[in-house]
Amino acid sequence: MTTSPKPATPEKKAQLLLTAAKAAKNFASILDFDELLQQTVNIICDEFDFYYAGVFLADKAGQWAKLAAGRGAAGKAMIEKEHRLEIGGNSMIGDCIAKKKARISLDVGDEAVFFKNPFLPETRSEMGLPLVFGNRAIGALTVQSTEEAAFTQEDIAVLQTMADQLAVAIQNARHYRQEQRRSNYLAAANRVGRNLTSILDLDELLPKTVKIICDEYNFYYAGVFLTDFANEWAVLRAGYGDAGNAMIEANHKLKIGGNSMIGNCIQTKEANISLDVGEEAVFFKNPYLPNTRSEMALPLVVDNEVLGAITVQSEKEAAFNNEDISTLQTMADLLAVAIKNAYTLNQLEEAHQEILTQKTFEALATSTTQAIHWIGNKALPITTTARRMQEDLDQKIFDLDSIKEDIDLILEGSELIVEVKEKLIGQAREHAPRPLLLPDLIDSAILELGETPVKFIVSIDDPIPTMFGDSSQLVQGLAKLLTNSIEAHADTVEVMIGTNTDIDSVFIKIKDNGDGIPEDLLSNIWVSFFTTKGPKSHGLGLPATLHIVSQHRGTISVDSTVGEGSLFTLSFPIGRQPENVISPSIGSDFCLISEENYYSKWCTNLFAANQLQLTIASTFEDAPKKSTYLINGDQKGIFSLLEHRDDRKAGNTIVLSNLLTVEKTTRLLALGVDDVLLKPHSGSEFEDLLKN
Amino acid sequence: MQFKKVLLVDDEPLVRRSLEKTLLRAGYQTETAGSALEGIGLFLKNNLTDSPFDLVILDINMPNFEGIEKQGAGLDLLSEIKAHNPDIPVVMLTAFDEVNKAKEAVSRGALAYIVKGREQNLISLLNETLGE
Repeated sequence: MTTSPKPATPEKKAQLLLTAAKAAKNFASILDFDELLQQTVNIICDEFDFYYAGVFLADKAGQWAKLAAGRGAAGKAMIEKEHRLEIGGNSMIGDCIAKKKARISLDVGDEAVFFKNPFLPETRSEMGLPLVFGNRAIGALTVQSTEEAAFTQEDIAVLQTMADQLAVAIQNARHYRQEQRRSNYLAAANRVGRNLTSILDLDELLPKTVKIICDEYNFYYAGVFLTDFANEWAVLRAGYGDAGNAMIEANHKLKIGGNSMIGNCIQTKEANISLDVGEEAVFFKNPYLPNTRSEMALPLVVDNEVLGAITVQSEKEAAFNNEDISTLQTMADLLAVAIKNAYTLNQLEEAHQEILTQKTFEALATSTTQAIHWIGNKALPITTTARRMQEDLDQKIFDLDSIKEDIDLILEGSELIVEVKEKLIGQAREHAPRPLLLPDLIDSAILELGETPVKFIVSIDDPIPTMFGDSSQLVQGLAKLLTNSIEAHADTVEVMIGTNTDIDSVFIKIKDNGDGIPEDLLSNIWVSFFTTKGPKSHGLGLPATLHIVSQHRGTISVDSTVGEGSLFTLSFPIGRQPENVISPSIGSDFCLISEENYYSKWCTNLFAANQLQLTIASTFEDAPKKSTYLINGDQKGIFSLLEHRDDRKAGNTIVLSNLLTVEKTTRLLALGVDDVLLKPHSGSEFEDLLKN
Repeated sequence: MQFKKVLLVDDEPLVRRSLEKTLLRAGYQTETAGSALEGIGLFLKNNLTDSPFDLVILDINMPNFEGIEKQGAGLDLLSEIKAHNPDIPVVMLTAFDEVNKAKEAVSRGALAYIVKGREQNLISLLNETLGE
C-alpha cells in the first residue's frame, strides 16, 4: 500500500533547505567526478539522516542504469558487483529514469516495483529521483530510510531540487573530465608532434611514433599502416613492442576498403572506433593482440590525400569516446604531416639523385668530349709528326722549316701530358688530415702567386675554427682559384673567411671584379680540358681545385656575372676541434721568426692561452739568442732572410710552411736550414715539433 | 779542354736515351746504366781510371743491387757512391714529387732533387755545378 508523505514542520523545512543549499554549494565546487558522486551520497545520508543513498547513471545506449556511487559498505559492495538496473525495467530506479519522474515507496515491502536488495535489508522507505539535464534523464538518485513512511513532501521537493543541481554538477564534472582528457590528449599530441616532425627518415620516424604514442597515452598497442604503391593494401610499417615486431616480420597488411577497421578507415578517410571489439564485425581478430578491448583507427590525411592509418588499442573496454577521436586525430594529423615531410624529402632526394646522375652523365660526356678533343688534337699529333719525320729522313728530305714546325707540334702536345700530371695528379698527398687554419692557408696561397699587380683584400671573421686536411693540396687549390681571378683580368680580389655555425663548417669566399663567366659556360668550368682562355690553357685549373675540395669533403660553388666578376664559395666541415694544450715542459729556448700576420697572432694567442711566453721577431737581427729558431716559411723574402742570417745565431733553424715542394725544401736545405716541416696548426703539433 | 763526365742511371730506356742525347748535346761525356748494380759497377770502374765521373744523375725507383725492382734503390746507390766519393755531386731525377724523399736524398748527400716533368733547369744546374 502506498501512503502519502507527511507534511514537515516549519523547523524541519528550514533545516532541509539549509542542508540542500550546503549540498548544492558543494556540488558546484567539485569537479572530480567520482568525488562528486561519493560526496553527494554522503551528504544526503549525513545531513538528512537517511539509511542509504546511491547514484545511478544511465549508459550510453540508455539500456542500463549502473550504480556509480553508494553509501557505505553496502554501496561499495554493490559497485564492486557492478550493480545495474534495466531502464524501464521492473525496478524503481529503472522506472524513474524511463519516466523522468520521482518515485516514492513508503512501505517498500508492499511495492511490487521494488527490487528486494540483499545489500540493504533494512530499507523500509525508498525514493527514486531522476537526474534530469536538459530533456534527458542521465541517471537517478536513490535515497532509502529504515523508517516506514520516512519521507515528507518537503523532503521530496528539496531532494528533487538537489537532484536537479546534482544533474547539472554531474554534467559539469563530465565536461570537465572530458576537457581535461582533451587537454591531456592535446598536450600529448603536441609532444608527439614536437618529437616527430623533425625526423625525416621514415624508418626512424614510424617506430618512434608508435613508442611515443603508447608512452604518452598509455595504450596497449599502436601501429602505423601506410598505403602501398597501388593503393590496394595498408602495410604495417611500425608496431609497438613484440607484437608489432612479430607483425612486421610477418608482413602484416590489410586490404584497403576491406573488412578491417584500418582498411575501412583509409577508404572512408574517417576515424573508426570500436569499443567492445569482441562484438564488432568490422574488427579483425588479431592473434598478436589478444588483450585488445577497444580500438581506434585514425586516418593519416594530408591535403585530402590519405597516406595510411594509425591504430591505437587499449586493454580497457570503452577506453575511447567520440570526443577523444578529435584530439587523437590532431595527433594523427601531426604524424601525417611528418610522414608527408619524410616522403617529400625522399622524393627530393630521389629527384636530386636523378639530377645528379643526369649531370654526371652530362659532365662525363662533356669531359670525355673535351678530353678526346685535347688528347686527339694535342697528343696524337706527336706520333703522326714523329712518323712523318722518320719518313722524311728515310727519303733524305731535310726541310729545316718543316722539322722546326714538327718539333713545335711535338713539344706542344707533350706539354699537355706533363700538365695533366702536374695539375691533376700533382705532388704526393699527405697520408692523414691534420688540423688547419684556413686564414693562414690563404696567406700562403697569395704568397704562392708571386709578384702580381692584383690587390688582395682579406677579411677574417675571427675566431675561425680549425678544419682538417692536407695543407699543401689546399694551398695549391686556393692558389689556382686566385690565379683564375688574375687570368680573368681582375684588379681586386676580396677574400672573406667565416664560419657557418648552423652546419659546423668554415667558408671562404673569393670575389673578383674580373671578366666573369657567361651563364651557359658555368656548368662546364669544372670539366677537365674545358677552357675559355684560348689554346694555351688546358682547362685543368678549376677541375684540379674541385678535386682537392672534394678530397676534403668540402663544397665549391660559383656565382658569376659577365663584366662584373665571379664569386667562388668554398666550405669545409670542421669536425672535432683540437684542444690546443701545450705542456710547459717545452721551455722557452726558441723563437718564432715571422712577420706580423694571422699565423703569428694565432701563435701568440695559443701560447698565451697556455700561460706560456712566445718570443717572436721579424728578423734574425731582432731575435734574441736561442737554441731553436722556427721560421715562418710562408712570408715574402724567406730566402733572403736566411741568406742574411746572423752567424752568431746559428742555432737549430727549422722552416715551417703550409706548402712543401721538393724545390723549396731542397733550396732551403741547401741554405743550411736544419729542417723544413709542415707548419703546425694545433697545440699538440707545436709541442711535438719543439720536443723533437 | 776535356769534357766533363756524367753517369746517368735510370731503368726507363726512353728517359735514359733522351736524356743522354740532351747531355751529349750540352757537351757532357755521358755513360748510362739501367740498374743500381750496373750503375755502381760503371762508377767504380771509372773511379779507378784517371778519368772518373764528375757528376752522377740518379733515378730513385729501379732494380737494386740484386737486380730486383725496389722503391728507393736509387737512394741506396746514392749512399754507395757517396761512400766511395763524398765530394762527387749527385742529382736525383725522379717521378717522386715527394718532399720527404727529397729530404732523404739531401741528407744522404744529394746536391739537388729534380722531379721529372720539371727538369728544364737540369742543364743549367750542371753547368753551374761543373763550372762550364
